[in-house]
Amino acid sequence: MTEATRLSVPRRALLAGAAATTLAAPAIAQGAPRVARVWGEPGPYGGVFVQGMNEWAQRNNAKIRFEVEQIPWDGVTVKLTTDLAARRPPALISVESPIAYQLAAEGLLEPVDDVCRAINAESRLVDGFTLASFGAWKGTQFAVPLHHQACLLVVQQDIIDELGLGNPAQWTWDRFADAAKTIAERKPGLAGYTMALGRNLCADYHITQLIWQAGGMTWDPSANFRAVFNSDATVEAFDFIRRLFSYMPRSAIEFSFLQVVDQHVTGRTGMSAYWGRTMGRAAEEAKPIFERMEYYLNPAHPRTGMRWSWTDINGWIIPRRDNPFIHETKEAVAYVANSVEWMVRYSQSLMPNVGPVFKDVATAPQMLAHPFYQSKKRSLDVIFVDSVPHQCNTGYELKKGINPLAGIAHGRNVWAQAVQRMLLNNETPRQAADWGQRQFEAIRADNARLLAG
Amino acid sequence: MAPRDVPARGGPQRARRSSRLRLSETQLGLFFMLPFIVTAAAFMVWPVVEAIRMAFFAYNPLRPDDVRFVGLRNFEIILDDPLFWESFRQALVWTGWSILLQTAFGVGLALLLHVPLPGIAAFRGLLLFPYIVPTVVIALNWRWIFNSEIGVVNHLLLRAGLIERNVAWLSTPEMAMASAILLNVWKYTPFVVICVLARLQTIPTELYDAAKVDGAGTLRRFLDITLPMLKEVLVVVVVFRTIWTFNKFEEIYLLTRGGPGTTTFNLAVYAFEQGMANLRLGVAAATGVVMIALLLAGSVVYVRVSGFGAEERPA
Repeated sequence: MTEATRLSVPRRALLAGAAATTLAAPAIAQGAPRVARVWGEPGPYGGVFVQGMNEWAQRNNAKIRFEVEQIPWDGVTVKLTTDLAARRPPALISVESPIAYQLAAEGLLEPVDDVCRAINAESRLVDGFTLASFGAWKGTQFAVPLHHQACLLVVQQDIIDELGLGNPAQWTWDRFADAAKTIAERKPGLAGYTMALGRNLCADYHITQLIWQAGGMTWDPSANFRAVFNSDATVEAFDFIRRLFSYMPRSAIEFSFLQVVDQHVTGRTGMSAYWGRTMGRAAEEAKPIFERMEYYLNPAHPRTGMRWSWTDINGWIIPRRDNPFIHETKEAVAYVANSVEWMVRYSQSLMPNVGPVFKDVATAPQMLAHPFYQSKKRSLDVIFVDSVPHQCNTGYELKKGINPLAGIAHGRNVWAQAVQRMLLNNETPRQAADWGQRQFEAIRADNARLLAG
Repeated sequence: MAPRDVPARGGPQRARRSSRLRLSETQLGLFFMLPFIVTAAAFMVWPVVEAIRMAFFAYNPLRPDDVRFVGLRNFEIILDDPLFWESFRQALVWTGWSILLQTAFGVGLALLLHVPLPGIAAFRGLLLFPYIVPTVVIALNWRWIFNSEIGVVNHLLLRAGLIERNVAWLSTPEMAMASAILLNVWKYTPFVVICVLARLQTIPTELYDAAKVDGAGTLRRFLDITLPMLKEVLVVVVVFRTIWTFNKFEEIYLLTRGGPGTTTFNLAVYAFEQGMANLRLGVAAATGVVMIALLLAGSVVYVRVSGFGAEERPA
């Protein structure tokens, strides 16, 4: 082919092609699959679930394609707010239950009782969970169970053994604080304990589980959600945090999720408060840390004996307004949730971060074949099974009733702010608790309409 | 030549057409400015007008159908809020120190870069680096650099024996504010350098020669020639930098999120928290309106006091 023909023929072809494409564009657009956005947490698991949803779409010729978008844990509220305000919500969202309760009470979610029935969710749930705990409001189910993650005590067992600190499974608060002190004193360069104390979601979670262990709550659902934050239990928990802070890195006051994991995986702390991801990160990046790492239930409060754990009871929620994909989304979610194989792949995509919530998944041979079950079976049993009776979250405190205000308070990080006032401004635990009480009561007053339904 | 009563072929039509298309210089100028006017109206004027309007309404973005007129209630909320006043005080500290240091370093660096040395152009180019890197990249890098546990700054200072234990750069109120100001100064000093350097290059060298002949030393020449010549550009730079710094959100939010506690909140972070965390867009808009008023008043006072443009006004 000569240069001249090479130039002239493509030009004609190009013009013809452009014209044809322009004319055919509407038809092509009609034939192309519509894209439904799915919000997942950071990590591969949301993507795995969406792969399963796309398998449903292909098999049913649904002319729809689900695409996952990863939203950071502490960015969900902002992203959701802006997208809902712009009337462009995603088709499906994976959220922690306090946000699900809030959005359900706001009337923003599509009921999913039909999906839960289609997947026999109630009878399949791991013992200790209820359907409502994933997201319900005034008797209607708004979340499809997805996974659970408990915040537990993560320790480097070699350090505990070397210093003769005993069995962490039997620790009370005092023994635990003494252990943190011993590590900090006898292991230079190593923090005794690390938890998040920054103005963020992670700190909210770490702080509230200590308040519950002492017997406190934020709002009382049985008293029309009156704020009960400034109780003696909260003051005791704050005092304990102040005691623990002496054995933490000084910069814990700005730590969030990532910094706590970094601290542990880089070998800079003997113990920390975290979910399963610390073990996963250590397995990927720091084998010696991984090999000596163990998970335990949180130390018991000496008076109440409670070991409450802030548990991410995670479910799928479906925005109701401006969502053109409700029917297809429900079908696709039911398809994946009914498949033990897909749900095992989901849980195993980031072991041991996303605990299976269905019994058939938790006991499936493929699930138990994961290598972690050989190397870390004791810890895995604590994370996936033993922690379940102690699961709790800010939207369902002490399992005394669902509370839609927690999502709003997490948006402002009121719990973390109260503790920061104590640690940074040198307020007493009582003053900090009283400040928190005023904030929580103001949130209740501002959202009276929400509570009335 | 065609007879008077017989129009040339196409003559009147062409004349009419050309008269229709003929634009005055003003019209032509407006025509060329039209794209800018439309863009500015859509992306600058309308949002400001909308923000002012919203400042008088209660608007929860999760309930977009429930927008209520509340009069001055949003302004009462912020003026009664101790955090607003704390944020305001911190905004003054953040802006004041940032501008002072940027101006001092900017003038100093511009004077250095004005010296005709071989390869000076390369230094001038390199100086732009902080200014052109996206803020999010800088802030996230600084978070790592200033990480008290694994940050390179503490590592180097410890190795050099300058500190005995890690400094909590972002975890104590004073250090967090200082770190945020340092980032701002590092990033925006090049802007001051560019403006000042451009002005320096237009100052006639004869002035300096004459001053030298009269026996003026380096400091005297700087105070009597350079500084007065820089006055106009410095007034503009300080006004712009003050407005931009006072409004700055992303650097503080990405570096400290306003913490520890609320010790690095400025009014922009406060407005964001009101809008996004508290879901009170009306209150956030009211904060924005207060910021506009403060900046407008501050700029007018500053320009008046500095006497900017006075010499151009007729006596």
